[in-house]
Amino acid sequence: MPAFGRAWNRVFGNAASAVAVILLAIIVLLAVLGPVIWTKDPLTVDLAAKLEAPSLQHPMGTDNVGRDVFARFNEGARISLLTGLLAALIGGVLGGLIGLVSGSLGGFTDSGLMRCMDALVAFPPLVLAMAVTVGLGVGLKAAAIGIILTSIPYYSRIVRADVLRVRSLNFVEAGVALGATRRRLILRHILPNVLGTTPVLVAANFGYAILTLAALGFVGLGAQIPTPEWGTMITEGQQFFLTGSWWIALFPGLGVLIVVAATSMLADRARDVFDPRGEFARG
Amino acid sequence: MARHFFNRLGGSLAAIFGASIVAFILLRMLPGNPAKTIVGPFATDDIVQRQYEAMGLDQPLYVQYWRFVSDFFQGDWGYSYSIGNTVNAEFAARLPATIELGLYAFVFAFTGAVVFALLSTYRRRASVDGLVQGTAFLGLGTPPFFVGLLGLLLLSSWLGVLPGPEGRLSPATVPPPEVTGLYTVDSVIAGQPATLWDAFVHLLLPAFTLAFAAYAFLVRLLRANLLEVSREQFLVVSRSKGVSRWTSFRRHALPNALLPTITAGGLILAQLVSGSVLVEGVFNWPGVGQSVATAIVSKDFAIVQTFILLAAVAYVVVNLAVDTLYGVIDPRVRSGASVGSR
Repeated sequence: MPAFGRAWNRVFGNAASAVAVILLAIIVLLAVLGPVIWTKDPLTVDLAAKLEAPSLQHPMGTDNVGRDVFARFNEGARISLLTGLLAALIGGVLGGLIGLVSGSLGGFTDSGLMRCMDALVAFPPLVLAMAVTVGLGVGLKAAAIGIILTSIPYYSRIVRADVLRVRSLNFVEAGVALGATRRRLILRHILPNVLGTTPVLVAANFGYAILTLAALGFVGLGAQIPTPEWGTMITEGQQFFLTGSWWIALFPGLGVLIVVAATSMLADRARDVFDPRGEFARG
Repeated sequence: MARHFFNRLGGSLAAIFGASIVAFILLRMLPGNPAKTIVGPFATDDIVQRQYEAMGLDQPLYVQYWRFVSDFFQGDWGYSYSIGNTVNAEFAARLPATIELGLYAFVFAFTGAVVFALLSTYRRRASVDGLVQGTAFLGLGTPPFFVGLLGLLLLSSWLGVLPGPEGRLSPATVPPPEVTGLYTVDSVIAGQPATLWDAFVHLLLPAFTLAFAAYAFLVRLLRANLLEVSREQFLVVSRSKGVSRWTSFRRHALPNALLPTITAGGLILAQLVSGSVLVEGVFNWPGVGQSVATAIVSKDFAIVQTFILLAAVAYVVVNLAVDTLYGVIDPRVRSGASVGSR
């Protein structure tokens, strides 16, 4: 597949993307294999070894109750990546379905669904995620639901626009002329043609999910202490950050930074390649 | 034009209505008896019941909703039991700090974005462009509170050039007499250059922190717009008439590229609002955002709910204003032609 090879090269072919891929791969590896390659427990308290600077014993140092920051970082990577991915995917499926139904059926269904989406985007995203999390009683699951809910309008609007574009194409009209049922038109003709752009949307939304999860964790709405989620780890390290023990908050912060910057950069490049006119760009 | 405006106005009102329903439902969904939370664990059932009725919780839902909305728009935002003061008083005291911070952040983000977008597109140097894009991805990817912490560590703890997290002024400095509530303005009015400088130095790092994400968003938008505009024929014409590169950029490319950034106003406001919750605590900034963050921890939801609804209303109003403004400025929208048809 030479065309695929070219596209691959344009997405991953330059130095900056290569760095992004490598850093991302390292974090994914730590998230998946963390407990195997680094066997220290992320929750074990060791007051004799508290606030130790990074060393061979503790590559990322220890926190104020002597827990190993590297082990917590790995566990945090696992929690952040998994929650972020799940939220982006579920949001994508729900938002995509709403966009598909709304765009294909049109009429009352369409305007009803789109007004609901308008009500959701009437909030600044983080504020709505906060509101939902508060309403559902705080925690990782509530935070994930908040993130999913704020992602839905983003997907549904883009997918709907795409459905409207595909729907007016000749082959769909040909299908109508041949007497295809509405169900068949949607499933066999429209859906496959809008599916292509969704991976890029999910990738771009994944960064948002990770960032928002960390933000909710930071203000105390997301994962609860002592769960080693990156945002809550930054909160825990905050008070020691300026008094010399910078490592507790620094590493989880870098983790968020790397994952979000790298995925949004790769998603951006992929969009440039697959959608040169930027029709489906966010915003 | 008028129709465009009224269409948008209808949409905005619907959005505010939706937002008020969401905020109302959220408060009802909270577990436990809110009356009991307020009077405390040692109150008798009788007192709890009286508090319950005083709060109108025995009324049917639509009555409660109506009371909630009319109270909100009449400016009665409830009582915060964790502070021991009305939410109005709390917000009134803290809003100027947040507004001042947001204004500076907005100015930083906007000037930064214009300068860097010009840098990256003016000479089309790949290295400069790469650097600018790099800063944009850093801005998109870094949680604002983390930027703030890093800045404090580097510039305050290690280099000592900026003050630490001590709020709007050094502890020894007396706030200027209040006129607007914005310290940098009030100190000019009162003629106190030392206070002005102190307030400004304290603003720098928090405002930069808050601006970073908005900058990243703006610079990407502006850069893409500049690239697109610079391919237009009127630029080729102006260059071939002998107009210098700088003048044709300034007079022809930049105004056209800036136009779509106006529509991003709502998104930037959203970033500043949510950013304030995340950033103010790091700098001990006595604004609304910090008060909300504290209220979350102490489960005092009167403040959180007001903040959510206020943010939604501000967001909707700004988006409406931006849309209307855009219609006034851009003849293509004014005449009803679609923006894409060129």
